[in-house]
Amino acid sequence: MSALLLILFLILEFLFLGFLGMAVEFIDRKLYARMQNRIGPPWFQPFADFVKLVAKEDIIPEEANPMMFKLMPVLALTAVFTAFLHIPLWDSTPLISFNGSVIVIVYLLTIPTLTFFLGGWHSTSLFSMIGAVRTLTQLFAYEVPLLLSVLAPAILAHTWSIEEMSEFYSKNPLFALTNAIGSIVAMIALQGKLERVPFDMPEAETEIVGGTFTEYSGRLLAMFRLAIDMETVVGASLIVAVFLPFGLHSGPLIGFVLYLAKILLVILLLALLRTVTARLRIEQMVVFCWKYLAPAALVQIIISLTLNWIIK
Amino acid sequence: MSWLAKLVTWARIKSPWIIHFNSGACNACDIEIVASLTPRFDIERFGILLKGTPRHADVLVCSGPVTRQIKDRLIRIYEQMPEPKFVVAVGTCSCSGGVFNGCYNVMGGIDTVIPVSAYIPGCPASPAAIIDGVAKLLGSLQGKKPDEKAEIEAIVKKPLEAETSTNG
Repeated sequence: MSALLLILFLILEFLFLGFLGMAVEFIDRKLYARMQNRIGPPWFQPFADFVKLVAKEDIIPEEANPMMFKLMPVLALTAVFTAFLHIPLWDSTPLISFNGSVIVIVYLLTIPTLTFFLGGWHSTSLFSMIGAVRTLTQLFAYEVPLLLSVLAPAILAHTWSIEEMSEFYSKNPLFALTNAIGSIVAMIALQGKLERVPFDMPEAETEIVGGTFTEYSGRLLAMFRLAIDMETVVGASLIVAVFLPFGLHSGPLIGFVLYLAKILLVILLLALLRTVTARLRIEQMVVFCWKYLAPAALVQIIISLTLNWIIK
Repeated sequence: MSWLAKLVTWARIKSPWIIHFNSGACNACDIEIVASLTPRFDIERFGILLKGTPRHADVLVCSGPVTRQIKDRLIRIYEQMPEPKFVVAVGTCSCSGGVFNGCYNVMGGIDTVIPVSAYIPGCPASPAAIIDGVAKLLGSLQGKKPDEKAEIEAIVKKPLEAETSTNG
């Protein structure tokens, strides 16, 4: 009976995350449109896109490996949802909490990128292979700064558990302000992880057709799109939980509204970044990440270590 | 129609993704198609997005007469699109072959090669006419007559405003 309840709860949570992901996609597209002086899509647009794609024909290329081709979107969804279970929402307590959950979240968020790579690789189209290789190249560029920038607050809080981190920072809110550089680095790295402008080389539709997803259509593409939407929510929630842990003990209702407001802030900043920049070349992105982003994250770690030393 | 079929039809009307294919046009229609994608006309209001790959697209927007050289490519692009798919012929040349009809290197209009759902005449067809044509195509999905538009209020109003401000 309790197992049945757990499954029901997980399904509800999955639906909630899917709903939130679509809402976030709409807000992002609307903000993008408004910043370009356009009206933008109506509120149901992501849902209409999803239903339309689900109702379309699935084409699996003759040359592709059908098993891998079909499995990858499911795997992407699963990994993103699993990562979501580890992140605290309105309280400081996530559903699954243990010492080391920060690292687990970052690694679970790497799996979708790997599935994009494998899906693109196994569809054996030239364009999707170029996109897949670019996805992987990008992964090596932004993954280290992202991990380093999440590491710095953990060093200051003396814990690897995201729950204890949130607890520490909500008790000492001033310490959260010292992580400003890290939060900027994490946000830029998240933009790379979500493959959005200026880091959208893997699916650059003006040069390599559709990139990684060139051969995907119908239901499988819908799943990939949903996974990306959910990844946006999970990535924003991670940044919110690590860098903005304010007002965590004000009850579920106010806490939830605060959580949504914080996510909205992150989405606004990401949309702003998407609007004001144009696409980089792949080697420009790698150079940018290793020359500026990784050192900035290291500076953040040095600040955290120094603070640690001063406190002691 | 069951509610599921209604939902799917609704979604198809609200989210037509297009792919643009030049089958031998003089570029005038292409410029007008690209113009209708700009923020001025803002067709993302209707959920229309330009996609790079035929696998993602629902509507194939063709411009120009079909030259003998491009015929095989056009058929290949069409067959790469997943069902249900629609073809829109933009410009006089793609509707009938235009002045190139009967030319030694030209097959004729788009419908000599692949089935066409909507014809948008004009030399070149203006962005407002293209958006209007796509709206009529979507209306035919709802089972309307050819000269009636889809039930999207914004689609009727907004391009006309844009049109008057462009001319004035």
